[in-house]
Amino acid sequence: MCNRHLKDAGIHPLLAYVLMTALFLGLSVYLFQSTEFAPYIYLLVALSLIGNLSEKRRTEFLRLCFGDSGMKKIRICENVLASVPFLAFLLYQQLFVYLALLVALVILMALSHFKTAFQWTLWTPFSKRPFEFTVGFRNTFYLFIMAYALAVMAVVQNNFNLGLFALLIVFTTCLFYHSKAENEYYVWSFHLKPRAFLLRKIKTALLYSTLLALPIALLLSYFFYQNMGIILLFMVLAWAFLISMIVSKYSEYPNEIYLAPSILLALCLWFPPLLLIFIPYYFKKSENRLKRLLK
Amino acid sequence: MISIRNLSKQYGTKEVLKQIHLDFEQGKVYGIVGENGAGKTTLFRCIAGLEDNEGEILSHLTPLKNHLGLLLTEPFFFPKITGKEYLHLLCQARDIQISNMEDKNIFDLPLNQYAATYSTGMKKKLALTAILLQGNEYFILDEPFNGVDIQSNILITEIIHQLKALGKTVIISSHIFSTLSDTCDEIQVMSQGNLIKSVQKPDFAALETEIKQMTLGKKLDKLGLA
Repeated sequence: MCNRHLKDAGIHPLLAYVLMTALFLGLSVYLFQSTEFAPYIYLLVALSLIGNLSEKRRTEFLRLCFGDSGMKKIRICENVLASVPFLAFLLYQQLFVYLALLVALVILMALSHFKTAFQWTLWTPFSKRPFEFTVGFRNTFYLFIMAYALAVMAVVQNNFNLGLFALLIVFTTCLFYHSKAENEYYVWSFHLKPRAFLLRKIKTALLYSTLLALPIALLLSYFFYQNMGIILLFMVLAWAFLISMIVSKYSEYPNEIYLAPSILLALCLWFPPLLLIFIPYYFKKSENRLKRLLK
Repeated sequence: MISIRNLSKQYGTKEVLKQIHLDFEQGKVYGIVGENGAGKTTLFRCIAGLEDNEGEILSHLTPLKNHLGLLLTEPFFFPKITGKEYLHLLCQARDIQISNMEDKNIFDLPLNQYAATYSTGMKKKLALTAILLQGNEYFILDEPFNGVDIQSNILITEIIHQLKALGKTVIISSHIFSTLSDTCDEIQVMSQGNLIKSVQKPDFAALETEIKQMTLGKKLDKLGLA
């Protein structure tokens, strides 16, 4: 399934896996260098990602196809396999207790049957302008709680890098809200020209991502005021990447983001001034791409 | 008014719409019938501008899509968006401000629940409410009665009558003939991408009989139920 998604997006699976491994290793190293609480955060991140495999309908489907015991075996295998990258890094760090704990928790997660007794709707400050941040916030709110907690820890420990990592979590999460192409109906419905549509999307994304990042940015600015310039630069870069993500998405719409913008975005990560070319170029491309639906 | 001239559509080598000529006048309700795969939904998608096509689609309000409410057979909803947020989204898309959303909830939908958890009928009613709130001039309703309860069925029929009275143009497809005969002024019959017949209100009963005969034939005899 994963390979199929990558191929649909025009990315060679091998290249994607190499890039993903590099990104994973880079972020893991950065986290463990930033804070002594890294193992806890690592466990939390691993469990929240692997938790996606416990989705109710998916589990029910497996139960229907393979029976109760078959489903449990498959789920255990899936969870353990999905946690291999985290386990390998913990092994490399010689954190054997955390490694054992993660194995136990993912197996427990596979065997647990979560039931919600009542239906509840998570409140979001983004209800007035659906849908990216409304849906995204509801799917990832726990990451913001984690990021805010990390920011507080950064202040307590006087660790500015950890604070930046918290900001990175917020903006990376927001980036992913714009990674998937929405159903055409939700573009077609707008009575805006492509340019106005794109500007509205960008405006909403900048406003809402800033709203989410503001508590951390203010906290860091107050306690690490000598690093105010770095915080500002970080925010500006994050906004630029957010805009890049939006224009990349619509440049291939209704298809998923293809190889060329993905590689160029990766290049921009390495050399951010490229964004000054990337954004206007893909904005124009998106405008052309949207002309079919937004006349 | 919407005028369709020489509308053709191909998916690869398969021709799904063949040289369609049609006029939809203001203040009239049109029905489109045809077997599955006849091309009804493709025709609707072409009119809406969701599909590229050959031929012309003209309307007195341009661009047509900005004045068109499209109810899809299976409306799509994001997994974690409430009914109220969906209505907000579709109204904002047309720059319509609705302050008292609850008052407009004529189908008594649980607007604070996630729309994706609604039943098929509820989803249809929510999508219909949204396009009504948008204040469109033209409406394309692809199987609006599918999966809705009898009370809502009555309500939807009345809504269509009101839209007609307001001078709006409504195009409906339905597999339930009685709903079409209750609401439509004219029915177009489609088969394999062609418009094969246009039937006016006085001839609806004859059309129903004809469709029944064509559909049933001697199929039931094969089962040997009698």
